[in-house]
Amino acid sequence: MLSIAVFVPLAAAAALLAFPRDRPRLVRWTAVGVSFVPLAIVAAAWARFEGGNGFELVESLPWIPSIGVTYQVGLDGVSLPLVGLTAFLFTVSVVFPADLRDRARQYYAAFLFLEGVSLGLFLALDLILFFVFFDLSLVGMYFLIAIWGHGDAHRSALKFFLYTLVGSLALLLGILGIYLNSGEPRTFDMIEIIRTQPLPVSGIVPALIFGAIAFGFAVKTPLVPFHTWLPPAHVDAPAPASAILAGVLLKMGTYGFVRILLQMMPATFDRFAFPIGVIAVVSIIYGALVAMAQTNLKRLVAYTSVNHMGYVILGVAVAATVDGTAAARSIALTGATVEMVAHGLITGALFLLTGSVLARGQTYDIDQYGGLAARAPALTGATMLAAFASLGLPGLAGFVAEFQIFAGALGVYPWLAATGLLGLVITAALFLRMLQRVFLGPLPEKWDGWTDLGRWELAALVPALAMVVIIGVAPAWLVNVIESASRVMTGG
Amino acid sequence: MVWLPILLPVVGAASVALLRRHRSWLGPVAVASLVGGLVASMTAAVSGPVAAWSWGGGIELVLSVEGPGRVMVVLVPLVAVPVVGFAAASLRHDPALARLLGLMTGFVAAMELLVVAADFLTLLIGWELVGVASWALIGHDWRDPARPMSAKEAFVTTRFGDMGLYVAAGAALAAAGSFRFSDLARASDPQWLSMVAAGVVLAAAAKSAQLPFSPWLFSAMAGPTPVSALLHSATMVAAGAYALIRLQPILSAVGWFGPVVVGLGLVTSLAGGVVAFAQIDFKRALAGSTSAQYGLMLVATGAGFTAAGMGQLTAHAFFKALLFLGAGIALHTAGTLDLGSLRLGSTLPRVAVLFAVGAASLAAVPPLGGAFTKETVLAAAFEAGTWVGAGTAVAGLLSALYASRLQLLGYGRGPVITVATPPHRVEMGALGLLAGLGIALGALWLPGGEEFVAEVGAGALAVGEPWELGVSVASIAVAFGVVWLLWRRDRLVGWAVPEAVRLVLADWWGIPTVARALVVDPALRLSSGLARGDRSVIDAVVGGVAVGADRFSHRLRRTVESAVDRLVHLIGGGTLRTADLSGRVDDGGVDGAVEGIAGGIGFAGEQSRRPQTGMTHHYYALLTVGAVFAVIVAAVWR
Repeated sequence: MLSIAVFVPLAAAAALLAFPRDRPRLVRWTAVGVSFVPLAIVAAAWARFEGGNGFELVESLPWIPSIGVTYQVGLDGVSLPLVGLTAFLFTVSVVFPADLRDRARQYYAAFLFLEGVSLGLFLALDLILFFVFFDLSLVGMYFLIAIWGHGDAHRSALKFFLYTLVGSLALLLGILGIYLNSGEPRTFDMIEIIRTQPLPVSGIVPALIFGAIAFGFAVKTPLVPFHTWLPPAHVDAPAPASAILAGVLLKMGTYGFVRILLQMMPATFDRFAFPIGVIAVVSIIYGALVAMAQTNLKRLVAYTSVNHMGYVILGVAVAATVDGTAAARSIALTGATVEMVAHGLITGALFLLTGSVLARGQTYDIDQYGGLAARAPALTGATMLAAFASLGLPGLAGFVAEFQIFAGALGVYPWLAATGLLGLVITAALFLRMLQRVFLGPLPEKWDGWTDLGRWELAALVPALAMVVIIGVAPAWLVNVIESASRVMTGG
Repeated sequence: MVWLPILLPVVGAASVALLRRHRSWLGPVAVASLVGGLVASMTAAVSGPVAAWSWGGGIELVLSVEGPGRVMVVLVPLVAVPVVGFAAASLRHDPALARLLGLMTGFVAAMELLVVAADFLTLLIGWELVGVASWALIGHDWRDPARPMSAKEAFVTTRFGDMGLYVAAGAALAAAGSFRFSDLARASDPQWLSMVAAGVVLAAAAKSAQLPFSPWLFSAMAGPTPVSALLHSATMVAAGAYALIRLQPILSAVGWFGPVVVGLGLVTSLAGGVVAFAQIDFKRALAGSTSAQYGLMLVATGAGFTAAGMGQLTAHAFFKALLFLGAGIALHTAGTLDLGSLRLGSTLPRVAVLFAVGAASLAAVPPLGGAFTKETVLAAAFEAGTWVGAGTAVAGLLSALYASRLQLLGYGRGPVITVATPPHRVEMGALGLLAGLGIALGALWLPGGEEFVAEVGAGALAVGEPWELGVSVASIAVAFGVVWLLWRRDRLVGWAVPEAVRLVLADWWGIPTVARALVVDPALRLSSGLARGDRSVIDAVVGGVAVGADRFSHRLRRTVESAVDRLVHLIGGGTLRTADLSGRVDDGGVDGAVEGIAGGIGFAGEQSRRPQTGMTHHYYALLTVGAVFAVIVAAVWR
């Protein structure tokens, strides 16, 4: 069943290219329709999910048996919410209006290709399969930025591509390292590696493997100082691609930290948990401070992603610390996973909203705006909701995540976590400043004709923001699913 | 039902939003929902209900009407009803009336959630929702760019304190394995408990505008006056003192908790008293007095007499809401808040009388309720030590000084001016109701009053000595005398200190200036410095590495190419005929892969310098190299 979610979008992507060139509406509606298929499958998977001890709905086929590569997919309490997020966010982004530049078929094909690949990554339970999807995601995003981007799109796309490719090569070396130490016979089977824990726990070999993989994921996540590809990629990408890049692609890095580093080499992660926690807190503070200084609306949102990914990695590092209590580690990991979902929805919405601003004002320069609330109450309200969610206001999804991360982290690394809390204050300051400068105050004359959000923008944003509120007010359905996995991973 | 006091105002806020075009309905709907909340809260205060809401992962939000919460849950809507009614009448011509009333009603709901919280998670949720409601209300007139800026300052300052509740929650989890107050009471680890206490004190100090956070109340003045009335009396600012009162029985196990809270409260009440006396802005003077009065509540609470703190909170809520509404009428009538140019006593004699009830309560003139509660605070302070008691008596003297000064400058006898729109009868009703509550609270002087406060406030109450009351009455008399003399000599606005000194004192002893120089400006400089460095240093390093790798790869490529060439020649020449098959695969495979990578990197380097070419098929090649590399290595090392 899960494979359908991966291959229907991939097949549809190929089919779309064969559609007639002059029927963009047909192409768009087909893409929207296809994007509902994975959503339906996730819903079915969610209904059948039991939250037991291990992976569920596993599908397995031999692929290259001679070297232990299998086609294997399945999910647990960490991947199910991410798969759900991916399916949801792709539908939202496909619905959101975009400047197609007369290439509707290619645009929607790239989107559906990227959707299949992204779903495949979160479902993959074989390291080679994981790696293939990891690399293919770069290709899909490269085209979306390079062809439908604006500004210096080619350069930004290439920088994104090459930088994360370097990361993925490091990841590949690490994966091979795991393979070579995976016992007899050697295997890429993730379930098997997680079950048997074959890697040595001390010495230089696991440290090198850990370092290579952590570097690869740190680039993708991104963590400071490997984040400089992110702002240009976001600024020059079209809004829906930015939403996917922040909402889904960054999660591949954080998901990798959990699935591969935490689950396959917990003892080594424990050795490096504190330094990684420090890097996470540096990312939190640094990302927030740099975001505060931005005058470009989209760069500002991009840097808050660095800040939020810092929260996620802090939670994962706490979960990896064997000295911590099981309750603290479990709640931190649950929070980190909720943050992946929450950040995907919130920042996805924020990026779509920057797209709406750009489409009307033709610039991201914050200083050019002001007082837009007078002309666009819906745009203002949606941005305020998303901004407050991003700064961690209770009742919205971000708080559920950040509270749990910090509640757990404070019990394990009190001073580190207390320092990280400053990030909450700085993000509050920067988002309120942004709201004030873009939406409040007097309206400049040139924006007298400013229009509010349109039908299709609302069709994309309302479900995303509704989900932010639902998770914020009644998070139990999500938290329980995640907790079923984080409890197992932290030995609780 | 513990939910009703929260949900009814929420329904009210939603209804106001939906009915926003039916302006005449807005006030009645908002007030009706608050009256409903008031009735529900009274029922809840009697029955003490408990409820839980599952958060997932075994965490529950626990809501319980218990302890000092029984008084507080009633007090919040009780004050909100007249204040919101006043707002509906006072801002009846404001086009954004629906937003104002909806937010004020929602503000009450968030505060009620905070009041009934029985665990740190629920407390934090209510705490921050109250904060964001304040932000929206302070920035009500958002077209004026200064107001959202003030709202932001207020929000960021209090959010700094909110970090304390995150710390408290995390430490409680570590100490007790849950966020519940009742579980923490059983926890034994002194270090974690100490951390909980530190977090709660930080959060409470910020919320209740204690030093050094007090100046945020000045920023909060940007909101409409009824917002200030609500924010200072029963919501937002009250949350800090309430949290300390609520948690004192648990946190008093920490040795430093009591002395620190007493010290914080005492210093703030003295400093704030001076600010209130030095200010020439009506609302800012009231704001200084708010910090000072909450300081008194902290003194009583830190000394261990929470019922005294709760009593003072209640009396303060009534008279401070009344005084702010009075200031609002003054602004409306005279068009200014400058204390040097008001003196509306002859113009608005009835308002002046009602205002006097509030001012007398603030000055703690017996037999008003405010006097009774202040005496219990004074008694608690003397229990904590003679010097604490003496300091609190001085703070009481200051209260009498600034209260009588406000009365004379705001509503003292002066010229009669013509009033375009006299106060609406609903506005007068609101003032009357609050004044009546303050007078009714005077019933506590009757026999049994002390037992009643201790019982209802669910805490200890210190019994004052008769001479303490004597000292208080004498100091009030002295204060009134001094203010009267200054008034007669027309020196009450600027009083006897040099103007430069008075200005610094009035601006919270210069704290905002210091905070800007030591915190805000450095943070902004750091922020913009890092943003520059992010491009010029980190990104440059990455670029440098790419260029270096490019050069290296060219060299590597030449070396590897010639090596491979030689190898191919050797194989071709047949001299390696005896070589082991796997050996050849090894060399060929690994070398080939290295070459591929080197070529790839070289290509990548060129491309990054000439991005416009975009020969994208090469990337597939690069990807393929990666995949092939994986398979080859796997196959060979098997």
